[in-house]
Amino acid sequence: MNFTSAELALAVALFLLVNLGAALWRAARGPTPADRMLAALLFGSTGTGILVLLAFAGGSPALVDVALTLALLAAISGIAFAQRAWLGKVEEDDAA
Amino acid sequence: MLLDALTTLLLLAGAVFFFAGTLGLLRFPDVYTRLHALAKADNLGLGCVLAGLALQADSLAVALKLLAIWPLALIASAAVGYSIARRAERLGVVPWQEQDQ
Amino acid sequence: MNLAFDLLLAAALLWSAWRTLATPQIGRAVILFIVFGLLLTLAWARLDAPDIALAEAAIGAGLTGALLLDAVAALRARRPNMDGDET
Repeated sequence: MNFTSAELALAVALFLLVNLGAALWRAARGPTPADRMLAALLFGSTGTGILVLLAFAGGSPALVDVALTLALLAAISGIAFAQRAWLGKVEEDDAA
Repeated sequence: MLLDALTTLLLLAGAVFFFAGTLGLLRFPDVYTRLHALAKADNLGLGCVLAGLALQADSLAVALKLLAIWPLALIASAAVGYSIARRAERLGVVPWQEQDQ
Repeated sequence: MNLAFDLLLAAALLWSAWRTLATPQIGRAVILFIVFGLLLTLAWARLDAPDIALAEAAIGAGLTGALLLDAVAALRARRPNMDGDET
């Protein structure tokens, strides 16, 4: 790993974190429960990307394992939401 | 040198796709279209970043581990997208259509 | 750039934690808690503790999120007019 690539990886990780900050807004006030859940899923996949980038930007290589676990398990809450928790009109279309 | 250029290109492309996905999540009008934007960030963004970093890996094992994350993310994103879209359709969420003036 | 990353991560963590606690609707609080867990994974990774980040990713983001979502659904099925959950 040479120096310029590590710098670039950290820069891209910072950019993805800025994206997550914007997605936090959708998670906090998206009009339906599904919109909040989609923001949470975006946090999962972007978080996987950030972890891999951090592993190359000076972090320990074990972070790749963390990213693997995150990619596997972040989807479980999405499936649980769709199958069990989204029951309908309770929070629909409020505070748009 | 060529590998470095390719890595830079792939990382920047991944960042662009993640940005497009986030922008879509913020700007699109309903659940189905936001699901579409999310799938772009999941599949292409993560795929480009992982491919770019796998080119810089020290050993073959690390590169293969990086590339093993991508199919997992693909399967997860496809399953979640199908599941949420079917649930939304069953709950009667009407797909957004452009309003006639 | 390191400092900017850490400051932004800390700000996002604090804000999502505050929103999780301050939200009256329990369903929203659970989803924000999942988001908080994912951000906390990044924080542990940033603090050079990959083993704790692994545990947080598996337990915080995966299992606890699914269990809490299921618990909310069960609560709601038992009591349709749960406090603060109606708009």
